[in-house]
Amino acid sequence: MKEEDTQDLLDLASELRWEVGENFHDTLVEGIYADAAQIAQKTEIKQGEPNPYSFERKLDQVLTSKKYGFPIMILILSIILWLTIQGANYPSGLLANFFLEFLHPILKTGATHIGLPWWLDGFLIDGVYLALGWVISVMLPPMAIFFPMFTLLEDFGYLPRVAFNLDSLFKKSGAHGKQALTMSMGWGCNAAGVVATRIIDSPRERLIAIITNNFSLCNGRWPTQILIATIFIGALVPDGLSSLLASIAVIGVALLGVGFTFLSSWMLSKTLLKGEVSTFALELPPYRPPNLWTTLYTSLIDRTLIVLWRAMVFAAPAGAVIWLISNIYVGDLSLANITIDWMDGFGLFFGLNGVILLAYVVAIPANEIVIPTILMLTVAHLNLIGAGDGVMFELESTTETAALLRAGGWTLLTGINLMLFSLLHNPCSTTIYTIYQETKSWKWTVFASIMPVVLGFLVTFLVTQIWQVFH
Amino acid sequence: MSLFLEMKQLFAAMPPLLNLGYVLLVFSILLVVFILKKYQYSLRWLLPFKNTEKSITEDLLKQLYHVASSRRTTDFKMLSGALKIPERKILKIVESMTQNGLIKISGSHITLTETGRNYALSIIRIHRLWEKYLSEKTGFDKSLWHDLAETKEHQLSNEEAEQLYEELGRPRFDPHGDPIPTALGEMISETGTSIAGIPKDTVAKIIHIEDEPRSIYRQIIKEKLHIGAHVKILASENHHVIFESEGHSIQLSTVVASNIQVVPLSSQEVYEEGKVRLSSLIEGEHATILGISTECRGANRRRLLDLGFIKGTLLTLEYMGPNQNPRAYRLRNTLIALRNDQADFILIEKTQYDRTGSL
Repeated sequence: MKEEDTQDLLDLASELRWEVGENFHDTLVEGIYADAAQIAQKTEIKQGEPNPYSFERKLDQVLTSKKYGFPIMILILSIILWLTIQGANYPSGLLANFFLEFLHPILKTGATHIGLPWWLDGFLIDGVYLALGWVISVMLPPMAIFFPMFTLLEDFGYLPRVAFNLDSLFKKSGAHGKQALTMSMGWGCNAAGVVATRIIDSPRERLIAIITNNFSLCNGRWPTQILIATIFIGALVPDGLSSLLASIAVIGVALLGVGFTFLSSWMLSKTLLKGEVSTFALELPPYRPPNLWTTLYTSLIDRTLIVLWRAMVFAAPAGAVIWLISNIYVGDLSLANITIDWMDGFGLFFGLNGVILLAYVVAIPANEIVIPTILMLTVAHLNLIGAGDGVMFELESTTETAALLRAGGWTLLTGINLMLFSLLHNPCSTTIYTIYQETKSWKWTVFASIMPVVLGFLVTFLVTQIWQVFH
Repeated sequence: MSLFLEMKQLFAAMPPLLNLGYVLLVFSILLVVFILKKYQYSLRWLLPFKNTEKSITEDLLKQLYHVASSRRTTDFKMLSGALKIPERKILKIVESMTQNGLIKISGSHITLTETGRNYALSIIRIHRLWEKYLSEKTGFDKSLWHDLAETKEHQLSNEEAEQLYEELGRPRFDPHGDPIPTALGEMISETGTSIAGIPKDTVAKIIHIEDEPRSIYRQIIKEKLHIGAHVKILASENHHVIFESEGHSIQLSTVVASNIQVVPLSSQEVYEEGKVRLSSLIEGEHATILGISTECRGANRRRLLDLGFIKGTLLTLEYMGPNQNPRAYRLRNTLIALRNDQADFILIEKTQYDRTGSL
């Protein structure tokens, strides 16, 4: 073809493109789709009719009804959380006994036997080993209970219905209905919740789900909430009612977290992540009996063990740091005590104290070690005799813990603020790492880590100010 | 250390009532943020960097181009009114524009030179390409597109615009139905007629919805009217037009309606009487899909196609969620939940249930 002809042809094509209109690509593709669908429909042989009054349909109508939908959902989730917290107590105790009571002294004796210097022995066994033992014994049992149950519900087909029910609320906050699933997954573990956001297709809504996942109270934080609520809030009423009030307080904090999820999703979708939900389509799969063994296997391997491994990788250095700051002295005071004194003023300003702030800094790797670290630091700061400098421990009874904390200057305000701060603080390092893995963006990782702390300080500050107005 | 300690002492020394002051402080900050947010467009002139000489020049060129293409003339006063910039400032910029050969002044009339016209077209090109980009690739609401593009048109270079053009699959029309000028400055002129002057019982297709002024545009999109929708005029009077589109009867005043341009249907298109939106289906009813409206674009459209919302497919509304939104539809023996604003995009024809399941 001659050069001139080619140019003519191109000009003609360019001219015709004004006439075929905007959507000729789409029209073409849809024509092909429709033809294919018609051919398939003609050749497909159908066996029987789907029975519209089947069991499945009736079940759907109950589970998604206006009247029963939400109560059933709350009931099932509370049962799962209750089973997780109660069921984990016993195996956690066993593991703690094994790692902390049984193996720890043996290791110590062994170390003395082979003549390790005291600092190496303390660094490795009291620091690194103890943190690892603690994280495993507190983290493994709840996850091994929560995740399989969660996966069973997912397999059965109930979770998509939860997303279906909650979608209108998420729509109002500019987010995706599937965020309901990642949010409840976060109650098990935020890192797992962040990974679970992969089910959300569009990047904007997925980012919202990732950033707000930290507001789901995770397994590592439930024990802290329960302990503090029992000590400070349960004590407000007579013995008979105290556990009830403490439970209500814990549930209140968890629901506050849900509230913050909606609020911050809404604020993000109005400011930084402006826009409407670009694609929403949710497939509601048919109900089917879950495959028990596969579920157990996949949830243990895919979720529990991977998360546990990451937590251990981060907890080991944390243990080392905790031991080091308690055993390195500058003048008369250990590094820990110096930092506590330094942060105390800042902490009290927010109705917290230096011990809590330091504990949250060194316990970034795992929320599980916050309480043992707080106890260890309180003892060290008060110059009492605990388990030894830099050795984390837990007391046998709640009353002893309460007495120790009160001796450390804790009030009801400190308790309330700790509960709030435990909900609203930076995600643990495992989660931060996972956020980076999923978003591949330092900017959003930093934002997701800082935003909750800022919110936490703001809320505790307001609570403290209001408290002071009334006292 | 000492700073924090001092801070603590400072606050501890204050009477409790003053602490209420902090609470008030926080609320007043929130109030200011709210006001700034609400009036962000009217307060724009406060920002120093918004009205740089470059963007005023470009806005002027655009305005002059629109004036010229509607065969009107303009002077300083009208330009100053249209761009909300003081006349004094306009005079200064017009002077430098004349020196650069972008405009000619004859008497009090200002007209574009050939260079000026090409410059104006390149700005319009970027504006419309950016609107196309926002509609295809982002989730921004369509009432925001125009304002975002107004800022972006001054920032993108011609090279970046070219890259965007390639990425978007060389579009020829923006989402409002306006033609996008080519890089060489070619553009077809608009051929539609206003919906306000069309006789009763005519059927037509919307090809253009003007996005300015904003208040009128909001009114149009609230009625869920969009480019590509078929309309049938039911009544056309002096003050208002009543017409039917996708099963809804809509009444608009002539002022609003004149911002909607339509063309007669082409020979391949037919006006389908029973064509309604999927969102109007009630529980237990059956329907056949007639298509997805052109309003649904990009990833959203492909997702619906992937799920099987294809012309000719039978479906039924199985049940609604606790708030009637989303709703679960059964098609090809699968349950799929859609939000109502998505179901608005799917056009259907209600049918009796056919036991054979064929067409």
